[in-house]
Amino acid sequence: MMADRDFYEALGVSRSASQDEIQRAYRKLARKYHPDVNKEPEAEDRFKEISEAYDVLSDPDLRKRYDAFGADFRQVPDGVDPQAWRRAREYEGAGAGARRTAGGRPGTGTGGFRYASASTEDIDIDDLFGGIFGGRSRREWGPIPGADQEAELALTVEEAYHGGRRSVTLAGAGGQRSFDVNIPAGVVDGQRIRLAGQGGHGSSGADAGDLYLVVRIRPHRRYRLDGRDVSFTLPLTPWEAALGATIPVETPGGEAKIKVPPGTSSGRRLRLKGQGLPNPRGQPGDLYAEVEIMVPPKLSAEEQRLFEQLAGASTFDPRKRP
Amino acid sequence: MTIYALARTARLDLESFAHDCGIHPDLVLRLVRLGLLDAEQDGFGGPWFEPSQIAQVARIQRLRSGFSLNYAALGLVLDLLDRVSVLEAAARHRPRRTGVSTWT
Repeated sequence: MMADRDFYEALGVSRSASQDEIQRAYRKLARKYHPDVNKEPEAEDRFKEISEAYDVLSDPDLRKRYDAFGADFRQVPDGVDPQAWRRAREYEGAGAGARRTAGGRPGTGTGGFRYASASTEDIDIDDLFGGIFGGRSRREWGPIPGADQEAELALTVEEAYHGGRRSVTLAGAGGQRSFDVNIPAGVVDGQRIRLAGQGGHGSSGADAGDLYLVVRIRPHRRYRLDGRDVSFTLPLTPWEAALGATIPVETPGGEAKIKVPPGTSSGRRLRLKGQGLPNPRGQPGDLYAEVEIMVPPKLSAEEQRLFEQLAGASTFDPRKRP
Repeated sequence: MTIYALARTARLDLESFAHDCGIHPDLVLRLVRLGLLDAEQDGFGGPWFEPSQIAQVARIQRLRSGFSLNYAALGLVLDLLDRVSVLEAAARHRPRRTGVSTWT
């Protein structure tokens, strides 16, 4: 969790980095992870982390204290000798059942910042975020609502067809979060599902942003999607194609029967109206079976004889101009 | 004859909008003058705001405090970010080409 991470590590700079280097590292990372630039839910945590690190390391006094006392620098009263502090901490750590929070003094350091040493559960995310977005320009701004976030939701064609509940786990502010998401039947690639109030945290009690799950339909070994229309290849024998047949096929919605009319050639698209993905607000998509005539790779003696007989009897020439 | 019910449009006046955004009305007017917020004018010249503009103010606040941007630069950043989202959405809808056929 972010409170555990070393501030220098968070900014990716060495402990001897100059103020210029720190500023450069922060600016670059801020451009990458700012919640209005980067909509991934993890970005908010990362942005808070680098902002907190920068707030401390860009202030020479705070940086000195951080270098001397580490993560506990906000709790150490002024005028304490770093060596003595370290010895005291080691002594305390060696004792049975020692608590590391050192009393968890609230309100030390910068305006209203609550900080509880290495244990993370006492950190008030709201306060932390307020410190970042409201802190530097508090005179001008009041509470700031959180940014909207986006995460990808990969679904199979069957899941998109049937819809239903699905559990989604995302990394986000304050660790992993799981949602039970109701997926409407017939979602399409690129469609967004809105989870109100599950986006970025607002500062000082302002509303959180929304989280949008962007549906991405996974490639399927059989089905191709174009919006709500579903196509698949239907292999046929030459005699099925010539004489016509009724073929049972698997569709996203279950088994269906396709009637192949006599005289069907490769490339013909047979439409099953309304058998594509359902549409909660209108016409469902269609299902297309694309005919591909397959010939046995090796003919039996009987097949050979019959094909030869057919070749002799037939006058059909697909290359002849009409 | 079709009778239409009078629909109340959800608009906020300057005071309520500023209150909901948690900022001073003068700052709201400044953001409007800079073209960062959309406002409609009523017959008396007063501005009215759509509730969606509250989220826009939050975005302006976050970007301004995150990058120390001035208001003129903010307009550019907002426009560019909007254009990026439009392009990303269009890219999502375009079928991805893998090999000959587009399998999805």
